[in-house]
Formats: sequence, C-alpha cells, structure tokens
Amino acid sequence: MTRKLLISLIAGLVLALGTLAIAQDAAPMDADAAMADAVAADADAAQSRDQFRQLDQDVQSLKKEVLDLNRDLFLLEEELLFPANSQVAFFISMDVGEYFELDSISLKIDGKEVANYLYTEREVGALLRGGVHRVHMANLKTGDHELVAIFTGAGPHTRDYRRGATMNFNKGIGAKYLELEITDRIKKQQPEFVIKEWE
Amino acid sequence: MIDRRPIIACCLLLLAPLLPTAAAFAANDGPEPIIVKDAHYGEILYYFYQEDYFPAIVRLLAAQEQAKVADHADEAELLKGGLYLSYGHHLEAAEIFERLLADNVNQEVRDRTWFFLAKIWRQRGYLDKSQQALDNIEGELPKNIEREAKMLQAQLLIDGGEYDRAIALLQDWKGKTEWSRYAQFNLGVAMVRSGRIDTASRILAELGDIDPWNEELTSLRDKANLALGYALLQDQQPRAAKEFLQRVRLEGPFSNKALLGVGWADAELDSYERALVPWMELRGRNLLDPAVQESMLAIPYALAQLDSISQAADHYLNAIEAFYEETNRIDRTISNIESGQFFDDFVEDDPLDSTGWYWRMEQLPEGPEGRYLFHLLATHEFQEGLKNYRDLNYLWNNLNDWTDNIQVYANMLETRRLAYQERLPKADAALERADLEGMVDRKLEFDSVLNDIERSNDWLALANVREFEMWGEITGLENTPALSANIPEADEVRDKIELLKGVLQWELEQQFKDRLWRIRRDLRQTGEALVETQRSRRQVDDSMQKQPLEFEAFSARVYGLEPRIEGMKMRVGDAMAEQRAFLQAIAVGELRAQKQRLDIYTVQARFALAAIYDRAATLGEASVQ
Repeated sequence: MTRKLLISLIAGLVLALGTLAIAQDAAPMDADAAMADAVAADADAAQSRDQFRQLDQDVQSLKKEVLDLNRDLFLLEEELLFPANSQVAFFISMDVGEYFELDSISLKIDGKEVANYLYTEREVGALLRGGVHRVHMANLKTGDHELVAIFTGAGPHTRDYRRGATMNFNKGIGAKYLELEITDRIKKQQPEFVIKEWE
Repeated sequence: MIDRRPIIACCLLLLAPLLPTAAAFAANDGPEPIIVKDAHYGEILYYFYQEDYFPAIVRLLAAQEQAKVADHADEAELLKGGLYLSYGHHLEAAEIFERLLADNVNQEVRDRTWFFLAKIWRQRGYLDKSQQALDNIEGELPKNIEREAKMLQAQLLIDGGEYDRAIALLQDWKGKTEWSRYAQFNLGVAMVRSGRIDTASRILAELGDIDPWNEELTSLRDKANLALGYALLQDQQPRAAKEFLQRVRLEGPFSNKALLGVGWADAELDSYERALVPWMELRGRNLLDPAVQESMLAIPYALAQLDSISQAADHYLNAIEAFYEETNRIDRTISNIESGQFFDDFVEDDPLDSTGWYWRMEQLPEGPEGRYLFHLLATHEFQEGLKNYRDLNYLWNNLNDWTDNIQVYANMLETRRLAYQERLPKADAALERADLEGMVDRKLEFDSVLNDIERSNDWLALANVREFEMWGEITGLENTPALSANIPEADEVRDKIELLKGVLQWELEQQFKDRLWRIRRDLRQTGEALVETQRSRRQVDDSMQKQPLEFEAFSARVYGLEPRIEGMKMRVGDAMAEQRAFLQAIAVGELRAQKQRLDIYTVQARFALAAIYDRAATLGEASVQ
C-alpha cells in the first residue's frame, strides 16, 4: 500500500463532490483529476438527468389526465348526489376574526341536526385568509325552511363562546347557496354571526 | 356579492410560498383588496391556503367547467397556474403562464413567475427550459430575487460548460453578503473547471477564512478549506494543506475528511505519531463514512512506519473484519432495495397529507438502508424522483378510492332506477285520478256564480249554514197558517217574525261585501294554487319524460368512467414501477460504489498485511541466521 494511493482514494471522493449547487458541494482543485472527475460526473449527471426528465414528463402527463378524470368524477358525484334542482350548499366564511376563534359549527335544518364540523388550526387559518368552506350540502324540497347554526369557539379574552344564528329561507327551483359569515363588530368588540344568501 | 376582508391579491399570493422568504415578498408588495364574489372561488382558496393542491385543482377545474367562477375568470386561470406549479405540475403551469403573462399581468409579477419557473426547471433538470424562463425576464427584479436569479444564471452557464461567461457574471459580485459568498464559491468552481487552478485557490483560500454568521456559511467555509487542503496535499504541500484542513470544524459534515487529511499531512512530513492523533479520533466515528474507513488503514500504516509491526497487523486484521461485515450489510441492503420493499415502506410510512413541489423528504424510513442512502437525499434527482414516486402513490390511492365510489354510484343509480320503475305506475294512477282540468272548470264556475251574486246583490247566497237555516225557519214560520188568524196573539208573533227577519237580513246585507271579498280572495288563492298545481303537473310530466333519459345519461357517465379509472390505474402502476426502478438504480449504484470502495480497502489491507508478514518472516530468518 502506498501513501499516494490512500490519499488519492479519499481525495477522489472529496473532489467528486465538485458540482455546482449553492452551499452544497466542494470544488475540485487538482487540474487533471478535477477535469477528469468533472467530465465523468457531467456525463453521468447528464444521463441521469435525461432519464429523470423522461420519467418526469410521463408523470406530468399522468397527473394532468388524473386531474381531468377527477374533475369528471367530482362533477358526476355532485350531480348524482345533489341535483341542481334540490341542491342547497352552506358555506362558512370569516372576516378578520379578532374577537372569535372558531372551534366548531353545528347546523340544523328544519329542526333536524345535519352537520357538525370541528375545525383544525390549519382550516381556521385558511378561513382567516379569505377561504370559504362548504360545510354542508343538502337536498331540500322547494318551499320554506329554517336554518339554525351554532358557532362554538373562544370569544373575546379567550372565553368560551357559543352563539346561534337563525335564518328562514325559501328554496325555489335551482341550486341555493347560503353563507354563514363570522365578522367582527369593532364598536361592540364582539363577534357577529350572520347568515345570508349568496347572491 | 359578499365583501370580505382584504387579502393579498391572489396572483401574488400564489407565488409567495415559492420565495425564499415570504416576509420579503410581503414587504415589497402591499396587500391589495380582493372580494370573493363566487362562493366556489372562495372554496378553492380554502384548499389552496391549506396547501391541499390536488383537491383545490379538482374543484377549480370543476368550477370552471360549470362556469361557477365566472366573476373571477382571469384570477382563476392565474390561480390555476399557481396551483399547478405548487403541485409540481410545472409543464402545465408554464403553458398557463405563457398564455396569461403575455399581456394581462404587470411586468413585475410576470418576471417573478418566470424566475420561479426557472428555479423549478433547473431543479427538475430541465436546463433548456430554465434558461428560456430566465431569458423571459424583462424588467428589474426585487433585490433578493435578483441575486438568486443571477446565481441561477451562473449555475446554468456552468451546467452548460460556459465557464467564461459564468466567471464574468460571478466575479463582479459586490458586497459581503451570504449570496456573495456563494457566488465566490461558484466562481472558484467555474475557475477550476476552466483550468484556472491558481486563481481558484486564491478565491477558495479567501472563502476559507471568512467569519461566518450562520450554519450555511460555516459549512461553505469548511467545504472551501477541505477542497483547498486536499488540493495542496496532492500538490505535495502538506504544511500548507494542514493549515487549511485545521480550519474545518471538528464536529460537522466535513470533519471526518478534514481529520483524515490532517493525518496525511503529518504523515507526509514523516510525523507519524502526530498523524495517529486525528486518525485515532476517527476510529470511534461512523464506519459508513469513507474517511473513517480509510483511517482504519491509515492507522496501521502509521504504526508500521513506527515499527509497531504487531499492533499494525492487529489493526489490519480488524479493518478486514470490519470491511467484510460492512460489505455483507451492504449486500443485504441491495437485496432489500432490489426487492422493492424499501420503497413500499417509504410510501407506507408517508402520511400523504400533502403533495407537490414544496414537499421535501428530510429523513429516510428507519432501517439499514436509510443510513447508507442518507446523503442521496441531498441530490436533486433522488429528491425529485421520490417526490414523483410519492405523487404517483397519491394518484394511485386517489384512483383506488374512486374505484370504490364509482361502484357505489353505479349501485345507487340502479336502486334509483328500480325505485322509479316501481313508483311510476302508482304515480300514473294518482295523476289520472287527479282531475285538474275539472278543478279548473269548477273554479271558473264559482267565479261566474260569484259574479252573479255580486251583480244581483244576493246577500242570502253568502249566508252561512246556520244563517241559512235560520232564514229558512223564519220564512217557514211566516207561512204557518195559524199566523194568518186575525187575533192579537198572531199579530204579535208576525211582528216578532218580521223583526227577526229584518235583523237577519240587515246583518246579511251588512256583511255581504266583506263576505264577498273573502270568498273572492279564497277563490283567487285557489286559482293560484291551481296554477301552481298545473305547473307542478307539467314538471312531473316533464321529469317523467326526462327521468329515463337522465338515468341513461348518468349510466353512460358512470359506466364510462369506470374503465377510465381502471386504465389510468394501470398506467399509474406502470409509472410507479418505472420511477421505482429509476430510484432503485440510483440507490443500488450508490451502494455498489460504497461496496467497491470497501473492496479496494480490503485488498489494500490484505496486501499490507502480507507485506508485514513477509517483513516479519524476513526479520525472523535474518535473526536465525
């Protein structure tokens, strides 16, 4: 065993790191070895990159097709389960949310409990940023109905807070969207819960 | 339309997570108010903000198909591009951006978008597309992004072998920021690659002497010192090499190699006792590191030089044994990876709660493979390959769920069809019984009668049953023969009857208009109800006509989608197998390289051991003689 051989083995490893990503690799320093390593590494990298790219393009194309299929299935599901004529959707939205931290919501339609939803921190975050959650979908007959929503969470000064909101609405022909909105009443420093029809 | 609190304009928001620091983005762009006009658009944002890109895209595609986001048409398209990008569907995202960014969006957003696409494409190995995206940037980028874009450009030039252009771009980098250090490092790399070793040495020497203020820069400094130290060592300058190697931290990703190098520098200076100090330190470290493996040979080499032959032989024997065991472990790991078990465990362990480009695997599944493959995680191809494998697994599970659901929908449809067919005869019979036209005729008859009553002021016609009976009784009494007698009692009764009759008539006349109004109102309501009933009847007739057609249409969709799901599952399965094979090839290649290195070390150890035995034998023979 020679000293040179030992050094060259580990030095090769050090020098083989010589690619170019930021803060990731070390640079080759010995001119001949570095160039030889670099050429070999480049050839390997290029081959691997080409192979990866081919596979990646296949995956990209599959993703698109599966997404399109999911769109068709999603539409079928909705039209089958909630035909447009009888469909009623209930959406939750939040505005500011200084005085209320939402934990859960419970919905009653015509005195019958139809939905109970417990929110995660991530979901509340999405609501606070302007997202709207479709909390429930129902099929209702045309005519008058009553919606009661119970909001549970932490109110001002993080005290337990439970409030209800009621709305009578008329279901005509065609889909109907109702919005349950949680807003802040700055004057009263209290949250406000409003149900309205999404026009 | 519902107003809600201002949120940052979605076109900017969707790109925010792509930035190195979202805060920097927010600082540069004041929030612009946006109003969610379509509930379905708000719902898409709800999933987007939770980084659930797949369901967000599906909802967006569905909403666009049904024209439910008409009030957000432009934003929705831009959001779709952003969602595709976040989901890692970069080719589709680029198509959208290319279309939209042409004239609809302000230049700054357009330039940023091209920058992010360039970054993703380089990471995914699409170097040509990455360069095109950078070329599309027309204006000035914000400072932080501009630096990153410049660095990206330099990396692309080095990737393409255009070292001079890369050097020109990097060498006038101003300032002493983190970015300038990275630029310095990449400049050194470009210099080395273009053969300008002396200049590169000066650059790396300067970089190796910086006062770092974070872990990344410390690591960069270590790397520069290590590379420079080894270069000097190879250039027969051990004293100078030692100086740089000793700058590397004792605990860090490069410490093992640095310790080994310091030992070799001492050995080159014939200070074998000194050399043993760093090498002995390596003995207690992880044997997977090649530097530790090499130290197992370096130690007996030094001992032999110090004439500790017996100790040297023991160390060589230990090294051979350790390398043998390690080789066996690598063989077992290769078998496990080749069987596919490793990647099955990987997707089983994965919670799959999010997908997309931002996901990054920090730790491989526990087990012997993880320790061998750990550093593969730092490579783009392996990371991106894992992402694709994970995304494909998500698609596979998604399609499996739909296979179950579509079966349920098919059953549901059949049940509905049967129920409809059972109810149809009853409904037909009930509809036939309901003489709606007769009811309308009767209503019209009532109208006519009421008109006659009003015209003739027939107040008696509107009397109720009791009043009518009373009227009958009174008029009956009036005609009683006894009352015609000319006696005072009869006169008295006649007067009373007249009075009663007058009172009743007065009351009926008094209430006539009110009663007439009430009856007209009731009749009007009846008329309205009849119109409504006629409308409902038309709807029933209509839906009875349409229902079989709707069943047919739904059946066609359900039974048409089923084979599409199955076909797609097969293709996803095939793609998973290909992706797995690609990852396996990288992993097994890496393991074989490790094994090959151990084989070389083992041969060297055996050769050295044989030399020691020879030397001992020669010395023994000499002493006998």
